[in-house]
This record gives sequence, C-alpha cells and structure tokens, in this order.
Amino acid sequence: MKVDVKSLDTFNQLAHEGAQEATRSLCEMTGIDAAVDVTKISLIDRADIGEELGASQFVGVQFGFEGALCGETVLIFEEAQTTEIVEALIPGASDDESMAQSAVQEIGNIMMSGFIDGWAEHLGATIDHTPPGYIEGDSEAILPDDPDVGAHDQVFVFRSEIEWEGESVTFFIYMLPEYEPMAELLGEYAEGDGEAIPIEKLAVFNQMTRQGTEKAAANVQQMTGIETESEVSQISFVPIEDVPRQFGEEMYVGTVVEFTGAPSGFLIVLFDEQSAVTVAEALMPVEMDSDELTDQHKMAIEELGNIMTSGFVDGWANVLQQAVEHTPPRVVHDMGQSILSPLAAQLGQEQHHAFVIDSKMKTDEVEFQSEIHALPNDQELRAALEALDVDRADQTEADTIF
Amino acid sequence: MKVYDGSQAEDTQETDPERIKVGIAEYEVTADGAELTTSGLGSCVGVALYDEANAVAGLIHVMLPEAEDMDGEKPAKFADSGTELLVEEMEQLGARSRQMQAKIAGGSDMLDFSEGGASIGDRNVKEVRETLSEYGIPIVGEDVGGDHGRSLRLEAQNGDLVVKSANRENQRL
Repeated sequence: MKVDVKSLDTFNQLAHEGAQEATRSLCEMTGIDAAVDVTKISLIDRADIGEELGASQFVGVQFGFEGALCGETVLIFEEAQTTEIVEALIPGASDDESMAQSAVQEIGNIMMSGFIDGWAEHLGATIDHTPPGYIEGDSEAILPDDPDVGAHDQVFVFRSEIEWEGESVTFFIYMLPEYEPMAELLGEYAEGDGEAIPIEKLAVFNQMTRQGTEKAAANVQQMTGIETESEVSQISFVPIEDVPRQFGEEMYVGTVVEFTGAPSGFLIVLFDEQSAVTVAEALMPVEMDSDELTDQHKMAIEELGNIMTSGFVDGWANVLQQAVEHTPPRVVHDMGQSILSPLAAQLGQEQHHAFVIDSKMKTDEVEFQSEIHALPNDQELRAALEALDVDRADQTEADTIF
Repeated sequence: MKVYDGSQAEDTQETDPERIKVGIAEYEVTADGAELTTSGLGSCVGVALYDEANAVAGLIHVMLPEAEDMDGEKPAKFADSGTELLVEEMEQLGARSRQMQAKIAGGSDMLDFSEGGASIGDRNVKEVRETLSEYGIPIVGEDVGGDHGRSLRLEAQNGDLVVKSANRENQRL
C-alpha cells in the first residue's frame, strides 16, 4: 500500500474541512466565535495518542463510524471549561449536572454531523455513525480504545484543534480510523507515480525517530545525570504554514541545525524555559545565583543541543547507511512559532506541505522536558524512504512488526 | 475569511473592543474598531493598513515573498499577493487605497540558513514595500529585521500597531 503527498493532502484537507464544518455548526448554534487552528494527520505509536492533552480532566462526546471508513471519533474539551460552553448554549444550565451533560451532548451532536457529512460527501461514499454518547475522563484515557490496527504498531490519527476566540477554550477532535480501510483509501487517492511512499516505510521511519530520540536521551543522561525517557515519536503531514502554527507564543530555548544528506532539512531541539534552566544547571559545576535564564545557561544548552543532535542523526544514519552531516548548532531563545517560521519558510520556497517529525523526552525526577523536531525536505525524504531497506530497520534495535 | 462589518457589534461591550486573531497566511479586516492580533512572527511580516477617514483597518501575516511560482496557493501566504488582497478587502468595506497608511513589522533574519543572497525575512519586507508603493500607500511606521520574534496588536480604533518582542520593551508604532 502506498501513499503520496497528494493523498495525504487530500485527507488532511478533508479532516480540516470536516472540523471547519463542525465549527461552523457550533458557531451558528451558540454564537461562540470559534475557528479551527490546526489539523494534522499523523502516524503514531498507539500508546502515544493524546499525549498533548496533559494531565487535565476532559468531557465530550464520542461516536463510532463505519462504511468507507471505520473507527471512532471524539470531540472533547477540558472539564473546567464546561461552564462557559454550556452557558453559551443554555444560559443557567451549568448549575444542573444533567442539563450540563445534555448541553455538552447537544454541542457534540451539532458538531459531529457536520464533521462526518463532509467526509462522506467528499469520498462519494456512505459513512454511517452511531449517536454521540457523553464521555468524561482523565487526559488521554478519554480517547477511544485503540482502533483495529491488525498487526500494526502504529495508527493514523486526525487531530484538529479549535480555538474559541477571546476565550481560553480549546476543543479537540480526534478521529481514529481502523488501519486497513484507512490505508486502502490513502492508496486509492495516491496518483501512483514515482512519488508514492509505501506506508510501512513511514512506520519504519517513525521507529528510526524513536531510536534517534533514545540516543539523544542517553546523551542527555550521560552529560547531566538526569534520567530521561523518550516519550513520543510521530510523523505528521501538514500544510507548510501550519508547521509554525502549532508552537504558539510559548517561549523556548534550544538549538537549530541544518542537516545535509538524504534527506536534508532542519533539526530543532527545544526546551521550555524552566527545563532549560534545570538542565543547564545540571551541567554546571557551580550553582547559579539567579533562577533566570542567563548567557551561561544558553551556552550549556548549546553544548547539550549539539550532543542531542548528534545522537539523533546517528540513529538515522545507521538505518539509512549514509552519513548525515549538520551545521554547528545555532542557539535560539524566542517564541516557538517565531523559531519555526523561518525554517518552514525556507522549505516553503519549494514545497507546499511538510512532513514534521516530533519526539519528546522527559523525566519525573525534576522539571524537565525536551522536544526534538525534524523538518525534512519532502522530495528527499521520499527518495530516502524509497531507498530504505525495511530489513535494515533491525539496526534500530526497535521492535518492528508489520 | 470572516469579515467583521459591525453587524455583531451589539454583542460586544462598548469599552472592550473585540479581539480577532490572525493566523499565519491569514488576514482580517474590520470596520468596527476591533483589535486585530497576530503572534509569533519570525521571518514572516505583519502588514497593518489603516484608513482613518473611513475607519477601516486590516492586518495580514505573510510568510513568503512571491506568489508567482506557487500555483493554487492561498494568496494570503505571500507578501505580494497578500498585500494586494488586504487592500482589496478593505476597499470592499469602504476604505480607499489612497487614504490608507501602512505599518509593518517582522521580517527577522533569525535562523536563516540560506547561503548568500538576502534572507527570507529581508525579501518578505522588500516585497511588501514594493507592493505598497505600487498602490502609493506610505509606510508610516516599521519595526523590521533583527534576529528576534514579534507579536502584533493593531488597534483599529486609532491605527496604532503595538509590537511585542521577547525580552524587549513593547513598541507602539
């Protein structure tokens, strides 16, 4: 089964339009002024889905769908935000728990019919869905049980984030299709020329990323004594302008390199400010006077970014059996979106969409979390995957099952 | 693209203008004094246009210099086609290009790995300048270049553009 940029783009747009349709219904019904922020299609380890939800309690609705696509979809938001949302729909209802629940369900109903109808219309096929049911739960536990993925380790997920303008309310839509029908549909929409990528190679690529992150995490541990674990590894496909968008205004400290070889692109290591201070101090022989981020902290981050980058690209080079070289790291301390925008723009001169490779590492011992992101040139990535010998994935020492 | 023409004004409090977010490769125009904001500009450029006489304002967040090589793309993504689009959309709300004034910010050189030649940030700014000059729209305030990110707030009631940068004082253009 093969996918290509066209089929990925088609489905990304479809999910985005579905989310927009759902949002339009919501706005009409409630007067809430909301807009879809980002939609992405990702291939991700089953266990890692919903990692971005953090530790909050969520409520929402869930429904199953079957036909051209089978699986589950949920629409959720933080429980703490229920009052604002329910009040917008039925003033006074938020005090009454059962009224509040039916208001949430009603919002779900409104949004979900818009979402699924958009898909069915575009695919020219029938998609039936069950009535949405009310759900509540802790962070990622609220998401549906794994869809039927057969023997595959990784699943496709469509995720949309919808922001309520002027309020700190974010809605999330997750659509988890069963693997085989989704892969088949992606295959049908591929143009079938030389640009197609076998889906299982994308999965191998994810394994490479995980291996790279583990190496980077081992390097951090060796240098700082902080025991870290690599957490998430996923490959997503988004329009190029959505690459910076998902980072927002939050401040980060980190390093960026350009790597060359097959593929070429950018590798970004990011720490939130608190993590940067924590990890930099672990590297320093003497305690710093200030908790603020200083130039000394940044120098330590530069060193660490360099060693993490090397660890990460070594993982790739092993599997690709070729050297991956990179420029010296440039230290950066700025808003996430500002850091990513020039990198996306440099790739955007030649491509409309980008594969984004995301991984995270963290530890429970201290306040520490780090992200590694790679932005490869998409044509070169396709060529590299084409040349990739799936058997060599063993070199990553990861458990790969197809 | 949403257009705010004042028809929803009853819902908002008089003292607190509506705030509308503009994403990358997006624009918004307003004729009812809303605050238009955009965040996380790196090499991207924010173009703010204001026609005081007709009380119309608009803000766009462009990412790349020229639309010519990219077919079937969003015009708002590019400095040239995006600026043109913003002018036209404001004219739809009653503004006139010869009464418009521009303020621009962004176009940072940060993390530019291109070898030789101008950075994308510089090229974005240059393209915006050229397009504005074709319309005869003067640039009355700017904060461009450098190696840091910026976030913007256009106060459509008075045309002020507030530029926020990490680790720097806010600027009011």
